Amino acid sequence: MKRYDLITPEGTRDLLFEECLARRTVQKRLTELFRHFGYSEVVTPCMEFYDVFLGTSRTFRQESLYKLTDSKNRLITLRPDNTIPIARLAATRLKESDLPLRLYYDQAVFTNNALLKGKSDEVVQTGIELIGGENTRRADYEALCTAVEALACFGKDFRLEIGHIGYFKELVRKLNIDARTEEEIRVLINAKNYPALNDLLDGIADNEVTATLKKLPGLFGGEDVFDKAARLCSDDNIKSILHELKVVYNRLSSLGYKDKIIVDLGIVRQTDYYTGIVFKGYLTGIGDSVLKGGRYDKLLGEFGRECPAVGFGVNCDAIATYLCKIGEAPKPETPDCIVFGEKGYVVESMAFAQKLVREGQTVENSLFTTLADTKEYAAAKGIHKIYVLGEEEYTIEL
Amino acid sequence: MNKPLRIALTKGRLEKDTVGLFEKIGYDCTAVREKGRKLILPIPDGNMEVVLAKANDVITYVEHGVCDIGVVGKDTIMEMQGKCFEIVDLGFGRCKFALATKKGSKFYGGYNVKTIATKYPNIARNFFESKGMDVEIVKIEGSVELAPLLELSDGIVDIVETGTTLKENGLEVIEDICPISARLIVNMVSMKLRQKEIEDFVRKVRDNL
Repeated sequence: MKRYDLITPEGTRDLLFEECLARRTVQKRLTELFRHFGYSEVVTPCMEFYDVFLGTSRTFRQESLYKLTDSKNRLITLRPDNTIPIARLAATRLKESDLPLRLYYDQAVFTNNALLKGKSDEVVQTGIELIGGENTRRADYEALCTAVEALACFGKDFRLEIGHIGYFKELVRKLNIDARTEEEIRVLINAKNYPALNDLLDGIADNEVTATLKKLPGLFGGEDVFDKAARLCSDDNIKSILHELKVVYNRLSSLGYKDKIIVDLGIVRQTDYYTGIVFKGYLTGIGDSVLKGGRYDKLLGEFGRECPAVGFGVNCDAIATYLCKIGEAPKPETPDCIVFGEKGYVVESMAFAQKLVREGQTVENSLFTTLADTKEYAAAKGIHKIYVLGEEEYTIEL
Repeated sequence: MNKPLRIALTKGRLEKDTVGLFEKIGYDCTAVREKGRKLILPIPDGNMEVVLAKANDVITYVEHGVCDIGVVGKDTIMEMQGKCFEIVDLGFGRCKFALATKKGSKFYGGYNVKTIATKYPNIARNFFESKGMDVEIVKIEGSVELAPLLELSDGIVDIVETGTTLKENGLEVIEDICPISARLIVNMVSMKLRQKEIEDFVRKVRDNL
C-alpha cells in the first residue's frame, strides 16, 4: 500500500521562514488594527456540526466542505467560513450581551477545492463582525472604514469595491420568476456574461427591469456609476438603495479615499447571507479579491436572535504572497550573537545567554565543542559577534 | 507607461481567428505571426502582450491573474468552470456539444445504466444530472467516436462541427446539448483595477466583430 507520510494533502502546505513570517506579520498588523478599533478576539472551533452551515441563507456546495463524523456518527465539517460560526456564537452564548458587539477573529477556513488548480484548501482569514448597533448606516460606514484601513496596512496599491446586494434582489423580485431562473440570472451577472444574459432576459420580459438587469454587469467604476444607474430605473426602492450607497461613497471620499473606492452594482455573490452593502478589496497583482464582506441582517435570526450585523474577512495568505511578491515582506532576523562555552563552562555560557536574552537580544547558544567550529558556523549564518566564556571571557567580532 | 495588458490566446484555430480580429482592429501582429519558438509576444502599438497557450491553460492563467484577458472556447469554459468574467461572444470557432450514438440504437430505452465516453466529463455529468439521469462516464483522450464502435460506451458527448466524422463512422447526433463559440474572458481583479484599458479594448473588439 502506498503511504502518504512524506507529503501534505493537496491544497495545503508547510510555511517556512520568510513565508511564515510574512503571514504572521499580516495577521499581527490586522489584529492590532482591529483591537485599536475596539474589537475583541473570539476563537471558534475548527470543527462544527454540518447543520451550522445549512440554512436558507447559508449555501455551500456540498462537495466544497470537508466532512467527518463524531463519536455519535453525526456529520461534522471543517469550518468553510468564519462569519457563520460567529453569528451562531453571538446568537447563543452571547445572547444576553449588550450591543453593539465588536468581535474579531484570526483563524483558518477550509474549502475542498478542485484538484490541481493551484488553490489553497486552508486559508487564514482575519476579520471583524460588528453586531447590532442602533444605526446600521453608521455601522456600515465603520466597517468600510476599517476595511480601508486594513488594506492600507499593506501599501497604497489597493482598491475597495462597494455594492449593494439589494439592488439585484429588488430587481429580480419585480420579475416574479422562480428561484432557478433567478439563480441563472445571478450566475450570468456574476460572470459578466452579457451574451447569455441578454438571451435569457429577452425570453422573460422587455421592460425597465430587464433593461436594467442587462446593464448590471457594466455598472461598475467611479462616481459616474450612480448617475448611470439613476437613469436606468425609476423605482423608489431601487432609488433609496442607490442613495444609501451614494451616502457611504461620499462619506468614504470625505475621508480622502475617493481614488481608492470603486462602485460595482453587479456584485451578486453566492454566499447569500448578505442583505445590504457588500464590498471587496483588491491589491494590484493578486488575481482574486483579498477582502470580502458585507451586511447580513437575517443570519443571526436563523440562530434565534434577530439582530443586524456587518463584517468582513481578509485573506491573510493572499496578502502574505503579495508582500513577498513586492519585496515588502520582513526578513527573518539573524541572531545578534552566539555564545560559546569552553569545556567545563556549559552552565556559565547558558547563564550568560539568558542574561542577554532578558536584555532583549537574540542569542544563539553554540552547540559546538571547539571555537573554530563555532566561528565557521557563525560566519556561514551571518552572525557578527561571538561571546566566548572560559577561563577568560572575551568577544570576537566577525 | 503602464504594464502591458497580457492576453492569453488558445493556440491553433482560435489563435488565427483572433489575430485576424486584432489586425482588423489595427494592431500590429507581426511578432505573433512570426513567433518562432517564443511564447510571450509583444503587440507594441496596443501596449499588449500575447501569450500562446493550450485552451485549459488560458483559463488557468486568466483565473490566477497572470494574464488579464483570454480568448478561449465556451467548451473549455464549461468544462473547467473557472472564475472569470466572460465578456464577449467572439462569434468564431462555432460548433456545438451534442450527444451521439450508433445509428438506430435506442439510447433512452431499457433499464440499464448507460455508459458515456467523452473528453468533457464535467459537461457530460451536468447534462445528464439536469435530466436526472444516472450514467457512467468514461474519460477518453483521443477519438471519442471509437468508444461506441468498440462497444465501450452506449453514446458519446463531444464537440460536433459538421458531423462528417460521426456519419463516416455510423454515428448520429440524437440531442444537441449547447452551442459553442470563442469567448473573451477577463480576470475578475484586472477588470476592476484596469477598467479603462480593458473597456477600451473590449469596445474595439466589439466594434470589429
